[in-house]
Amino acid sequence: MQLETARFGSLEVAPDAVITFTQPILGFQDYRRFVVLPGPSDYLWWLQSTESGDLAFILMDPAVVVPDYRIEIRPAELSELAVTSIGELDVYTLVVVPEDKRKVRTNLRAPILINAKLRLAKQALLDRSDYPIQFFLAQPHQGQGQAREASNAGLNP
Amino acid sequence: MLVLTRKEDESIMIGDDIEVKVLDLKESQVKLGIVAPKSVAVHRREVYLAIQSENTQAASAAQIDTITDLIQR
Repeated sequence: MQLETARFGSLEVAPDAVITFTQPILGFQDYRRFVVLPGPSDYLWWLQSTESGDLAFILMDPAVVVPDYRIEIRPAELSELAVTSIGELDVYTLVVVPEDKRKVRTNLRAPILINAKLRLAKQALLDRSDYPIQFFLAQPHQGQGQAREASNAGLNP
Repeated sequence: MLVLTRKEDESIMIGDDIEVKVLDLKESQVKLGIVAPKSVAVHRREVYLAIQSENTQAASAAQIDTITDLIQR
């Protein structure tokens, strides 16, 4: 099917590429169908609505910023996506890209889970997790923490 | 809005299968126990709203290349 999008112009979308959200992305109740499109690198994708050409989200592989990212999903949520373990799902997080580069962030508390085989998806709200809703990508990552501590100490002698 | 007064250890039923029980009362905090079917999601409202707000902002993300600039692998 032909899809007119704001970001990618006219797209030809194969019907079997469309994924359906069993639960909508919170705040987007009217949009259940999306396609995943490749982004500019191997850890970024676009989640483009097929119901509104204007609506697209950026997805990322959270393991790029948190290598040991682990989530727990209730069995009922797994069966909603027709799987029995989290390993059968692709786990992505949504990225917010505001004007201010320092505020670019990803939501580790509400990942997007996709059953690629059956093309089912949902946004999981991890109610028993300490992962932040706003994880800033510009913050120093592992290995650089000491450098930041050192510079903070320098500011407050 | 329906307003009900409950004491410690008392509860209310919402429909046939959701129970909200007052477990403990402190000065300015109430501890609630919620029994609901697994299909019913229960969240603190502020978390729910924060995620919704974050989703809305994610939907207006424009410059995807900013991300690759930030992540050095």
